[in-house]
Amino acid sequence: MSGQAPEVPRPAVRPQTDASPAGDLPLAVIGQPGVPFVEIETLRAREFIPAAKEALSSLLKEQAQGKLIRPVFNWAGRNSLFPLHWGLACCAIEFAAAFGARWDAERFGVVPRSSPRQCDLLIVNGTVTWKVAHKLIALYEQMPEPKWAIAMGNCATGGGPFRTAYSVVPGVDKLIPVDVYIAGCPPRPENMLDGILRLEQLIKERGE
Amino acid sequence: MDAKQLSDGLATRFPGKILGVDPLDGTLGRIRFDPAVATDLFRSLRDDYQFTHLTLVGATDWIDHREVFYVLWSDTDRLYLVLSANLPTDAPVIASSVPIWPSANAHEREAWDLVGVKFEGHPDLRRIFMPEGYAYHPLLRSFKIHEPEDLEVKVRSD
Repeated sequence: MSGQAPEVPRPAVRPQTDASPAGDLPLAVIGQPGVPFVEIETLRAREFIPAAKEALSSLLKEQAQGKLIRPVFNWAGRNSLFPLHWGLACCAIEFAAAFGARWDAERFGVVPRSSPRQCDLLIVNGTVTWKVAHKLIALYEQMPEPKWAIAMGNCATGGGPFRTAYSVVPGVDKLIPVDVYIAGCPPRPENMLDGILRLEQLIKERGE
Repeated sequence: MDAKQLSDGLATRFPGKILGVDPLDGTLGRIRFDPAVATDLFRSLRDDYQFTHLTLVGATDWIDHREVFYVLWSDTDRLYLVLSANLPTDAPVIASSVPIWPSANAHEREAWDLVGVKFEGHPDLRRIFMPEGYAYHPLLRSFKIHEPEDLEVKVRSD
């Protein structure tokens, strides 16, 4: 292992109407061309909170509040997805491994919570039977908006090897709307992280 | 105790209601009985012959009839005993064994859920594997497997 790390190009997200002071590149810029935008500079943690407060309060004073505030919540929401800690079958083992030390899904802001009322992401990790179907729907309905769902593994995606069985739901999309499907039996934790990152991309594109 | 002793004793107690005793590997034998004497037979086997433990209750659909079977265990003789009774397809009803052996509770619910055998006198004969309100008994030979595309999904969320 020697010397110089390769130079990683930073994403050029600065818009044309550049009003920020010259100097360091901003960490991220949220906004659309032609409208005011919030700029979040590379800040220390203790400077971040007052800066974010000031940015948000100045935005709130704007007349078109909803339109301006939406990208901020989109950025914050997609980078802190809280899935429900709910294991159904063997996929739950891979789900748990993804949050362990080796794969560490928390570096993407994904933190499993134990109550559906604190969650915005439902990862259905396993075989859903008809007996448990109405509990799955109840959990989904208890989650506050906006919310998303991932069908993890072949069973949740389409029933898997139990597709024609009398007791198994052939695909969890028969019960709730699903945003991302992850194939595999079970999928490896890398696949799960890929699915979560794809969902983040999807949320960004939809502007939810 | 051997099978001859047991079958003779039961035949004098329930004349004409013990339909046969077959040898079965690893057990004392398999006794075929008339479902009309089910409760009295169970009580006699528990109290007079010390079959104090019920290991399992199961049921099978043989198309022209349904069969219920019980596996008993005797702690004093260290022996298994199998009972079986044939029920007509149009009225698959037999007296529950829960008042005699409480361990039969979940087994009889399973037999009711999947094969549709009704146990009269069961304290809580609900479905156990399928959701409440499900219309079929899926281990019957007449049950048709649905193609997933044809499913009509109606789920109650409460």
